[in-house]
Amino acid sequence: MKTLSFLFIVVIAGLLAGLFHGIINVAVVEPYLDRAIGIENQRMFDEGQTQNTPQFWQQFSDYRTWQKEGSVVSGGILGIATGSLFGLVFAYSRHMLPGQNNVKKALLLATIMWAALYFIPFLKYPANPPTVGDPHTIVLRATTYALFVALSGLGAFGFSRLYKKMQNKKFVAFLGYAVFIGAMFVIMPPNPDKISTPMELVNGFRAISAITMTAYWIVNALILGWLWNKVQPHVENQEIQK
Amino acid sequence: MPNSFDIEMVNTSQITKTRRVVPIIAAVALFALFGLGYFVVGFDQGQLFSIAEGQMAYGQMNGVGYLHEFTHDMRHASGFPCH
Repeated sequence: MKTLSFLFIVVIAGLLAGLFHGIINVAVVEPYLDRAIGIENQRMFDEGQTQNTPQFWQQFSDYRTWQKEGSVVSGGILGIATGSLFGLVFAYSRHMLPGQNNVKKALLLATIMWAALYFIPFLKYPANPPTVGDPHTIVLRATTYALFVALSGLGAFGFSRLYKKMQNKKFVAFLGYAVFIGAMFVIMPPNPDKISTPMELVNGFRAISAITMTAYWIVNALILGWLWNKVQPHVENQEIQK
Repeated sequence: MPNSFDIEMVNTSQITKTRRVVPIIAAVALFALFGLGYFVVGFDQGQLFSIAEGQMAYGQMNGVGYLHEFTHDMRHASGFPCH
């Protein structure tokens, strides 16, 4: 394998998809975040933690602009991170994925990884806008979320090995993963925070953030598959003199 | 009249190898990028900067870490726990 070409296309695909994710979030997710943070601000005014003054709003506006810029940059960082894992798994599993076209292969793998690493954990621990999370439970919530993602990802990996080994009855691997992750749904503790934010805001945020995360996975797969077709990092040409 | 240069006839043929094996250095580099980037955007509360700044890193921005605030919006939007 051509190492540098391989690394380059994996990182560039993740970066571009991540920046795309960050930019569309600014357009469609940020309005929900702004509304939720507005509720937080109102609570602070009501509780006397801060004063509702023009100076506050000037500082707040500058701060939010910085955070929105940060959202695009961190989209790029998360894109490189997730895209790196995706590219690595793609390189190992490409020959096992059905079809001839690398774009189709990448889309299939992205669907599996999206489900295992994002959507199934999302069903257990859905995304929440600001104001929902209690700062005192952040360690518990972060630990359970990371553990659930890891279990789901490792479970998918383990059962994919079983799928490969099964000559017939390949559905057993899917059934095994479903039973395993179903058990994890029951065993793992729920999110301890009570939601006092309007559910219309929470559900709207969850739906739109799930759509943009899905878009990220699709774009990463399309770019990586297309680049793989162009660069062919797994092909090495050698000239032999006779 | 003799040639001022020699022509060497060389038979070359090209073979194409396809390799499934991912170089170990590439695998390690990509896994490290995944771990670091996922932690920075999804989970850091000040731990990374605390390596250089100590306890101060946990409360740099409004009582929380700098990276937490910088990645705040993407953290929420990509489903990670936040507050």
